[in-house]
Amino acid sequence: MRSLAPGPASLVKSQEGIVFLLALLAFLAFALFLPAFFSAGNLLTLVRSVSILGILALGMALVVVGRGIDVSMVATMVVSVSWAFALSRSGYPLEVALLIGAGFALLTGIIIGFAVAVGEVPPIFATLAAGSIIYGLGRTFFFTLEMQNVPPGEDWFALIGQGRILGIPVTVVAFAMLCFVAHILLSRTRFGWQLYAMGNNPEAAKITGVPFRPMVVAQYAISAFVAFGAGLILASSASAINARLYNSTFIYDILLVVVLGGIGLNGGHGKIRNVILGTMFVGILLNGMTIMNIPFTVQNLVKGVVLLFAIIIDSLVNPRDEQTSQQGDL
Amino acid sequence: MTDVVAFRNATKSFRGNPAVKNVDFTLRRGEVHALLGENGAGKSTLTKVLAGLYPLTSGEMLMDGKAVSFASPAEAMENGVAMVFQETNLVPSMTVAQNIFLGDEKFFNRIRGINIQAQQHLQRMSFHVEPTALVSGLGAAKKQMVEIARAVHHKARIFIFDEPTATLTPEEKQHFFDLMDRLKGEGASIIFISHALEEALSVADRISILRDGELVVTDDAGAFSRESIIQAMVGRQLTGELYGEGGRQRVARKPGERVLAIENLSMGKVVRNATLSVFAGQVTGLFGLVGAGRTEMMKIAAGVLRRDFFHGGVVRLNGVPVRFRVPRQAVSRGIAYVTEDRKYDGLFTTMGVMQNVYQGKLARGSNPVEFVRMEDVQHQAQEWIERLNVRAIGGDAKVVELSGGNQQKVVIAKSLIQEPSVVIFDEPTRGVDVGAIAEIHQTIERLADAGAAIVVISSYLPEILNLSDRILVARQGRIVEEMMIEEATEEKIMYAAVH
Repeated sequence: MRSLAPGPASLVKSQEGIVFLLALLAFLAFALFLPAFFSAGNLLTLVRSVSILGILALGMALVVVGRGIDVSMVATMVVSVSWAFALSRSGYPLEVALLIGAGFALLTGIIIGFAVAVGEVPPIFATLAAGSIIYGLGRTFFFTLEMQNVPPGEDWFALIGQGRILGIPVTVVAFAMLCFVAHILLSRTRFGWQLYAMGNNPEAAKITGVPFRPMVVAQYAISAFVAFGAGLILASSASAINARLYNSTFIYDILLVVVLGGIGLNGGHGKIRNVILGTMFVGILLNGMTIMNIPFTVQNLVKGVVLLFAIIIDSLVNPRDEQTSQQGDL
Repeated sequence: MTDVVAFRNATKSFRGNPAVKNVDFTLRRGEVHALLGENGAGKSTLTKVLAGLYPLTSGEMLMDGKAVSFASPAEAMENGVAMVFQETNLVPSMTVAQNIFLGDEKFFNRIRGINIQAQQHLQRMSFHVEPTALVSGLGAAKKQMVEIARAVHHKARIFIFDEPTATLTPEEKQHFFDLMDRLKGEGASIIFISHALEEALSVADRISILRDGELVVTDDAGAFSRESIIQAMVGRQLTGELYGEGGRQRVARKPGERVLAIENLSMGKVVRNATLSVFAGQVTGLFGLVGAGRTEMMKIAAGVLRRDFFHGGVVRLNGVPVRFRVPRQAVSRGIAYVTEDRKYDGLFTTMGVMQNVYQGKLARGSNPVEFVRMEDVQHQAQEWIERLNVRAIGGDAKVVELSGGNQQKVVIAKSLIQEPSVVIFDEPTRGVDVGAIAEIHQTIERLADAGAAIVVISSYLPEILNLSDRILVARQGRIVEEMMIEEATEEKIMYAAVH
């Protein structure tokens, strides 16, 4: 097992170490050369926007550890929250509308889970199709405007994204708490242990008696629910939610966080600290590029290149075929 | 007749363990040479050297009198050696014609041209296969024909058939033997690996028998009888103290309750109408050659595989019919299946020894958010690690760092920590060093003494004789013979297993 506090030598060798150093380097460089970067206002924006990304990445990480992937998260997020707002405008109390939205998110997660677990559809295709279906359903039947404002007269709702606890934005507190919960879930509960088992060797997990299909359904249900929660925070801090987010590269930012942080796409690897690390790095990178006024398309280019390299490094560090484990073989 | 291929003092070792030892083997022009022996006797290894899959460790391989060594199957193919595997190597999504020309395409191909050429080629060999048919839609026999046609197209003159008739119906077999005759008539040489002794006796010109990697005898087929072949296949010098005097002096444990009963079980073409019982407090040995369906029978009982819905038969646990759809259901009812392939579905390679073992314990519970108590992990996993004597540097050692024997013990511990009442060991000592074999055998004996119902699936006769109280022999998807250890001999078992 790797020790919790890697020394300087292993810091450079492990992927986590490299990402950590890169994040630090980027932070220092931006702080030195971009006067606007190292200001209280910007750092606050950074931390806040990064928290939403981080929360979504937590949900994604859970699925990825179990050797799945959920690219429908953004669709679930925008549609469930937008629908809740639309319902609220049409007369439902906001609380009830939000419950319906949460229920919708959970339902989509469960249906995706069944498609993957029982229908044995590869996760990437199941969630790709599901994302498209969810967005289509939403725009066709649930709401028509792509921009849904927070219904008026509900002041408490703004607190989620804009309030503070002891001076710390609620968003950040929520991210920290979710990190803690996810950490406990992964490292200390039966669910977490079995999740790693499934991700590492699905066949062995089945034979050992892991409740395979319920576990798969649970993963996608959790990630969908997390997406709904992230949507609430996003809508609250911006006072609106824009369904067009589905058509943006947001989902790739989430994947970038997960892969860059060091959670292997082939499952069974990675801890919550990898998500935090990835969030930090991607957050600093995106914020810095925005301040430098780098055009959006160039930003995407940079993100794309970084993601590609992260995946290449990932497949080198965590080879999918267990060529490394040939010892004792006949 | 001239020797096309000759092995001189050939040895092939894997990690120092010889699979083939000092073999002198010749293949003449225009002969069918049957290669017989138990599973693991070295038949496949020897032929795979010829087909370019492995290099020899020592000794030499001569072809037409010149020493050769093939680095790859493609190189062997260029020199006229074609191996037809039991599972064919065709591309299922392509047509017959495309498969025949695979690897030999011109830069521009006209489908029609290829089809016409393939048609002519197939007709010349009088194979009734449509060149435009997709390979995935063909039966086993036709796939084999296509594979042979491909080999002939690539100008092969040495054919290696590994268990070619296992999946064929009687008519298809006849067709296959006619084809071998024709190939022989055209001057090709054929190595024919089979478990079917009658077939070998009737079609082969010469027969070679391998045992434990060594060539026992080579002679004209006419010099052999069924009995003398079996004698030569099993008449081993028993290996040291490990397998003592076989089962002769052992007395069977008294059978307890009938815990597991399988009645008329069927699954596809692999398991056909199998019936067997397993009793508590006993080791039931299940012997069979490759393709006998023994693993599949037990996998169905353990919920790993599913049987036919309508004609599947009945599995009874303590007299009550059960139908497990996933292994978890079987595990929660106390049936553990210890896999034959620990790499594929046994080990969690990213985890440590203790975590691997404790996964078994976790799977017995159901509350997903129940906390894993680290002292429980330490305590219980450690207990089983000690009981099975897993030698690792601390419980944190990754399982990939262990030897084969210790990995196998981890897989066994993972199942035993679930405290099962029925344990199915599938090839429990495959790829395991001698010291660990003895320890694993002791563990199995102790389990049976403690009252568990044990099934040991093995293709190694001494292991079956050494462990079992009762021996079942599987052949072609059914149980064909049942005997108590007192009356069992290697010859008797082998006689029942071959066909």
